[in-house]
Amino acid sequence: MQTGMAGRLGWGAFGIVVMAFLLSPLVIVVVFSFGQNRLATFPFGGFTLEWYRALFDNANFWTALKNSLVVTGVTGVISTITGTLAAMALASMRPGRASAAMMMLSLPVMIPPLVLALALATSFSGLGLTLGLHTVIPSHLVFTQPFVILIVYAQMERFDFSVLDSARDLGASPLLSFFTITLPIIRPTLIGAALIAMSVSLDDFVITFFTIGNGMTLPTLVWGMLRTSLDPSINALGTLILVATIGSSVIALSLTRYRG
Amino acid sequence: MRAAGGSDWKLWPASAALALFFVLPLGYFLVVSFWRLRSYKLVPTFTLDNYALVFAEYSGALAFTLALALVVAAVSTVLGFAIAYMARFRAGRWGQVILFVVLVTLFGGYLVKIFAWKTILGTNGVLNNALMALGIVSEPVSALLYSPLAVVITLVHFLLPFTVLPIYGSLRGVADTPLAAARDLGAGNMRVLRDMVLPQCQAGIFAAFAIAFLISVGDYVTPRLVGGPDSTMVGNFVESQFVNRLNAPVGSALSYTMLAISMVVLFGFRAGLRAMLGPR
Repeated sequence: MQTGMAGRLGWGAFGIVVMAFLLSPLVIVVVFSFGQNRLATFPFGGFTLEWYRALFDNANFWTALKNSLVVTGVTGVISTITGTLAAMALASMRPGRASAAMMMLSLPVMIPPLVLALALATSFSGLGLTLGLHTVIPSHLVFTQPFVILIVYAQMERFDFSVLDSARDLGASPLLSFFTITLPIIRPTLIGAALIAMSVSLDDFVITFFTIGNGMTLPTLVWGMLRTSLDPSINALGTLILVATIGSSVIALSLTRYRG
Repeated sequence: MRAAGGSDWKLWPASAALALFFVLPLGYFLVVSFWRLRSYKLVPTFTLDNYALVFAEYSGALAFTLALALVVAAVSTVLGFAIAYMARFRAGRWGQVILFVVLVTLFGGYLVKIFAWKTILGTNGVLNNALMALGIVSEPVSALLYSPLAVVITLVHFLLPFTVLPIYGSLRGVADTPLAAARDLGAGNMRVLRDMVLPQCQAGIFAAFAIAFLISVGDYVTPRLVGGPDSTMVGNFVESQFVNRLNAPVGSALSYTMLAISMVVLFGFRAGLRAMLGPR
């Protein structure tokens, strides 16, 4: 499309402002996690690792990290399995039915997290269940599997099903053709989808908060620190969460070539 | 092989998870809104008292929350469209970079982003420091943080990636050739945008607006951390019914009233969008 000089400058300026708006809050958290200043203000002070040291000396951090790893790992594995199976089923449906089913399965992402969190908490307590990681994990499953379905389905649409048909015609069992043909082709996509599901799970605060009972994960630890004091080790913890979620999204996106 | 029946079982695990941990809990939660609370125990009955209480006590909060969510959704959708439009038509190979940044900021840092805005907008925050250093203001602007404006800025920042992606998805389906043809025939950029591009991405615009509106209407963390006393939203009252008063029935009635009103707003938005962008 042709654009005049003024138009090009205008869009360039808009692009820079938008990128700055999206990224600067994240950059500020990372920068201040290494700054000597107790308050997040300029001047920045000198470079220090003190806030990371304070964080690693905090016993709650290690408990929260362990819980987060368990929840994220188990949720990642289960939602990748359920999501991939669902995406394969959707790929073999008529497009109209497939998008209706996709819409249904994506509802947990569309509802305000607080409402889902309270519905889950009320139901668990109605059933007399004690809250803990075992109630957090299935709660995370419903809002992470839509991401897996979306990403794997986008790949399956480009998948050449005739290869599978040939394998089956030559006598391969469904299981054998899955492991020798389908899996090797979609493996990068599966790893990418799992990483996205894990980022979403690792970052969740609202649903975790209401379904975990007395336990804690990294985001609920951030919440506790935010409410008690403006401890600069929040910046350090925030940086670690950003590195984990954004790092795994970057890897995931390069693996899947999924772009919205 | 691709016949429907053969792979239907593959849909079961995901559907079972959806039924057990989404449909049933929300159904039970809806039923609870018609129950009573007696000495902190739920009593199954059928009463509309909780809804009566919601309208009597929380109409003001509902109106404020809807207004704020409408502003956030409108700003995020318009900005999201501009970013998606730029990435698709105006940015050349930078389009992919923009899209990558947007996608990367989507998947993480909900609390971290809110916390970051708290440090940026505070009286001693980065923004006030910058404004004073530039001589634009002589003393810190305290109204930046703990105001409805802070809630809007923080939510727009969080929701922007959610609005860019569905709009970009539908812009990708817009073919270039007819647009070029329209331009050759003398249509200006605005005319092409209004009559050709926008009508083709109605679905993306609606999805973007819907997700931005639904997430902000139910948020309680942002108003709590950056909002101040004038920006208490419905989510804060819902949360306090649960956490402080252990009153699930009122919390549930408030949640479902909010969801019902949101549905009406979204249907209205959809009708308005069709009327504005539909064939004339």
